[in-house]
Order: sequence, then C-alpha cells, then structure tokens
Amino acid sequence: MKSRTLLLVAAGLMPFASAYAPARDVKVIANSSVKTDSISAAELKRVFLEQNNSLEDGSHVEPVLEKDGPVHEAFLQDYLGKTDDDLQTYYRALVFTGRGSMPKQLNSDAEVVAYVARTRGALGYVSTAATADGVKTLAVVHPGNFAQRTLLTTVEPEYPETLKQLGIGGTVRLHLIIAPRGNVEGVEVLGGNPILAESAATAAKRWIYSPTHSRSTLDVTIPFDPH
Amino acid sequence: MHRRMVRLSFVYACLCAGPITLRAQQFKLFDRTVQVHGFFSQGFIYTSGNNWLTMNTLSGSAAFTDFGVNMSSQVTDKLRIGAQGYDRNLGQLGQYHPSLDWALADYRFKTWFGVRGGKVKTTLGLFNDTQDLDFLRVFALLPQSVYPTDLRDASIAHLGGDIYGRISLRHRLGDLSYTAYAGHRSDSIYSGYPYYFSSFGAHITSFGGLQYGADLRWSTPLKGLLLGASRLDEDITGKGLAPNLLDPAAGLVPYSEASKADWTNQVYAEYTVGRLRIDSEYRRYWRNEELAGGTSESLADVRGWYFSGAYRICKRLQIGSYYSRYTIHDVVSGALAALYPPATDTSLPANHDYDKVITARVDLNKFWNVKIEAHFMNGYGSGPYPNGFYTQVNPQGFQPNTNALVLKTSLNF
Repeated sequence: MKSRTLLLVAAGLMPFASAYAPARDVKVIANSSVKTDSISAAELKRVFLEQNNSLEDGSHVEPVLEKDGPVHEAFLQDYLGKTDDDLQTYYRALVFTGRGSMPKQLNSDAEVVAYVARTRGALGYVSTAATADGVKTLAVVHPGNFAQRTLLTTVEPEYPETLKQLGIGGTVRLHLIIAPRGNVEGVEVLGGNPILAESAATAAKRWIYSPTHSRSTLDVTIPFDPH
Repeated sequence: MHRRMVRLSFVYACLCAGPITLRAQQFKLFDRTVQVHGFFSQGFIYTSGNNWLTMNTLSGSAAFTDFGVNMSSQVTDKLRIGAQGYDRNLGQLGQYHPSLDWALADYRFKTWFGVRGGKVKTTLGLFNDTQDLDFLRVFALLPQSVYPTDLRDASIAHLGGDIYGRISLRHRLGDLSYTAYAGHRSDSIYSGYPYYFSSFGAHITSFGGLQYGADLRWSTPLKGLLLGASRLDEDITGKGLAPNLLDPAAGLVPYSEASKADWTNQVYAEYTVGRLRIDSEYRRYWRNEELAGGTSESLADVRGWYFSGAYRICKRLQIGSYYSRYTIHDVVSGALAALYPPATDTSLPANHDYDKVITARVDLNKFWNVKIEAHFMNGYGSGPYPNGFYTQVNPQGFQPNTNALVLKTSLNF
C-alpha cells in the first residue's frame, strides 16, 4: 500500500519533473581514470573549450561530444553557454591556428558511453536515462557567490527503490549553504523530482567541504540513474 | 586561359571532394591519432570607381582564391604538434606560391602556463590569427582598416615562440588570458608591401625582422563580453634594388630600409548575446623608417577602427554590417622628401578609406557557405603605406569613391 501510494505520488509529480527535465536531463560521465567524483561547472566548461586538459586533481581529460540532438543542445546551453554553431566555429578557430584539436564527436549516448569507457581521460555527457556501464558519473558543482570549495566527504544519496524499479530518474539541483568550517548548514531544492530531491538533500546535509574563512553557497547537480 | 581552366578544375574538384574528405579526416600514426583539416575559398569582386586589392575588379575578378591544409596530433597529454600549409592568389599577390602557415609544438604545463614554438600565428586583436579563415565569421572581408588582407604578411606569423595561459580571477571577476611572443617575421615577396614598391620599378628581395609583443584579454563577469589589448613591436629590414629616384640615369641601385620605431597598439571588445555578435577594434600603427639606405626617413601614423554587428536569423542565414575607418598621416623627410609631398590632411580621399559594409551569409551545410557582401567606400588611402588601392592597377588615377560587390564561397573540413 505504501509503495503504491509512493508510486501514485511519483506518477502525479512526473509532469512537473518532466517539464523541468528536458533542459537539464544530462549527466556528465568520465572514464574510470579520472579520479574525482565531482567537477565544477566552470572547470567542465574549460575542459570542453579546450582551455584545460587536466583537472585540479591532476587527471588528464579530453572532451567527448555528441554530434547533435536534445542532450547535446541542453549540455551546450547549460554548461557552455554556446550554440552548436558557435561551438563548431570556436573549435575550427583552434584547429586552423594550431591551438587545439577537433574533439571527438559521436552519434549517440551509447557511442559516447562506449568511447568514454575505453578511453583514458575521456569526459562526456549523455542523457540521464542512458545506461552508463563502465564509466563513472560526475556530480557537477555550480559555484555560488563565494570562493570555490573542495568536496572532502560525500555521502551517496539513497535512491528510492520504487522509483528505481520504475525506471524513474533524472537530475536534482540543490543550492547549498556551506559553513566556514565546511559542513552544509542549509539546502534548498532548485529542481528535479521531489522524492529524489529529498533524498539528495538528506545526503547533501552530511557532505563536508574544505574550510575557508567565510560562508559559501554552491549550486549542485546530482544525477539519479535508474539503470 | 589554360591557367583559368586549371583553377576552375581545382575548384570543382574541391567542391566534389569536400563531402568525401569530411569523413576521412584522421588516421593513426605510431598509435597516435593524426587529424587532417583543410579549407578552401573562392571569391569574386566587382567594383566601380577603382580597381581594388590588386585585382582587375572594375571588370570583375575571381582572382581571389585561398586554401590550406593542416595536420596535428596530441602526442602526449601535454604535447601537441602540427603544421599547416597555405596558398593564395589575390590579384597580383600570393600568385599561388605556397607557404608554411604555421608549424609548431605546443606544450601546456598548466592551464595558466604553456609554451609553443616554431612558426606560430601572431596573436594581435580579435582576428589577426584567423584572418584567412572567413568561414569563421559572417563577413567575406574583415574591416580593411584593421586587417588589410593585402598586408597579411606584416603580422600573420612569426618564427619563434609564445608563452600563454589563462587565469581565473577571484571573486567571480572572470578570466584573464595572456600571450607573449617573440620571433622573426618574414614577408613573402608576393605580398602587398613589395608589390607597392614595384610601382617605383623597385624589387624587394627580402623584408622582415624581429617581432615581439603581447596580448591580454579579459572574459568579463558580464556574460558574453570580452575586452582586450595587444601590443606589437617590430624591427624590420627590407632589401632589394630600386631606381635612383634622384638620378634615374643611374639605373637600379641597392636599396635598403630599416625600422627606427615600428609598433602597433590595438584594443578591442567583443560582445555576444543570443544570436547577436558585436565587435569593435581600434588599431594604431606607428611606422618610423629609414629609407633608401638612411638618406631619407618616413614617419607614418596609421589609424583604423571599426564597429561591426552580425545576427543569425536562422540556422542557415546570418546577416552583418560594419563601419570601418582608416586614416594615414605620413611625412617623408630627407633626400626623398621632394618626391613625397606630406600626407597630413586625413580628410583627403588619398589619406583615408571609410567603408560601409552589409553582408549576408548562407550556410549550405555545416562545411560550406556562400556570402554576398557590398562595400561602399570613400577614399583610397594610397599613401606611402598601401591599403588596398595600388597605382599599378589604377594607372588612370584614383576616383574618390569605390563601391564593391563581393561574392565568396568557402569550404572546410
């Protein structure tokens, strides 16, 4: 009965979740050689604009893109702030002046996952619903209005079994308020399935960031992959 | 006729080969991926008033071709190597003499520090290093006040090295990118300045020298706004043979010229929001040269600026417009002063070029575009330092106004 109620609640909320999902229904994946479990939105952008080829933890990275489609468009809009035409122009300027290479661009989620799984340092993005076997999913951290913080301790959010069985996933966006000593003292849900968001918020409250002299805010994207 | 047929055949072959080569752009060598990319463009210009850019444009000219091919490879996580060959024919310039456009090794230690060495494209303003790549922008011709295509060789690349990097500023103040460089510039004898000299019956055999400078650009916290400044210093020597203008009966005699002070300052801004892109740049070129073996001296103050806007109407169609303004102030002293009256009044057509431009670009696919562009120019700025208008192709004298229709298509893969 309880699970049925949960199912009804989940089903009732799906229209809201899916209304939110299309622009954000992207997860960032990486080859297992990449050490970190999270990446800041700013660092992600620098990797895809070929301004960085290594992360702060020293991992070598190379960007992998999809050629087109809604996931590709959503990723460019959300994380790079460019259209596909602008991005292709940007890459060509690098290629024809000797300042960069054309990144790998593949046709589908499955191709991206397969390439990222077998290529050291590969960093790509796929639909949240895509199966991500053999790769790791990175949480994307959106810096708030203060200094960037390093995540020292993470607690994995619990994935409600009923939603997982029903294949309901997506991404949750949280706004965190981090105390100077590093503990998360406030969490605000910015978007996503409310049940998943509650689980994510509960876990995020137990995260520990590096200490700084002042309070910080961070926007965090947490993917829930039912596969 | 034969040469024209060969050229048209080449164009046709490129058009046909384009879609094929698009799929064959990389291969493995010593277990490393080697990327191959190329581009080709063909233009046509028809003008009223004056012949332009060394072409016979009053009758319509298609002597407006360029192409390049490059190969590059990421050898290690930090090391990348590559090279590009480039060739062009622009009226009397280039004449299909190929050149090594760039060939470099690039080692990026950190995001904030990298080095590259070899023949390197010179970073100067928004478009100096990409000025040949018209497929990157809506315009067929960049504003000639700042990027004169006939004088491309003057700043396009140097044989030497760069240091570069990118630094994220604290407190969300954006990013700073820097480039500093030094090297040797070498102009082709088929470039604009030697061609200009040939109007006196002179032959420049070598032209080049030390070039060093820096560029600093700030990606501001305002999304889409980039501000920057560049500085370029040069120490140039030109050698060749020239008629003794003071004693024509002496025939050709050794000629040399050398920089006393030669610098360029450039500031620029770029703003992109949605489908709109706005650019503006100002360049001042200061050129103090010893001429004719030090018997004369030229002091040129060349200033140019433009303001441009481009808008993408839909995926296939973009439009754009710019206003470009060029002035030259030049005084020759010494033995040659009698032959060069001072050019100090920049309101005269001989000492300026004001250009209003409208353009449209149609993308036939991701790799092939067609452009149509109209220029409405006042002035011909043909002073002692050239800017698109040359006496050799305008023997009848210059008209104050020139209108131009430019058609151009380009492919890249």
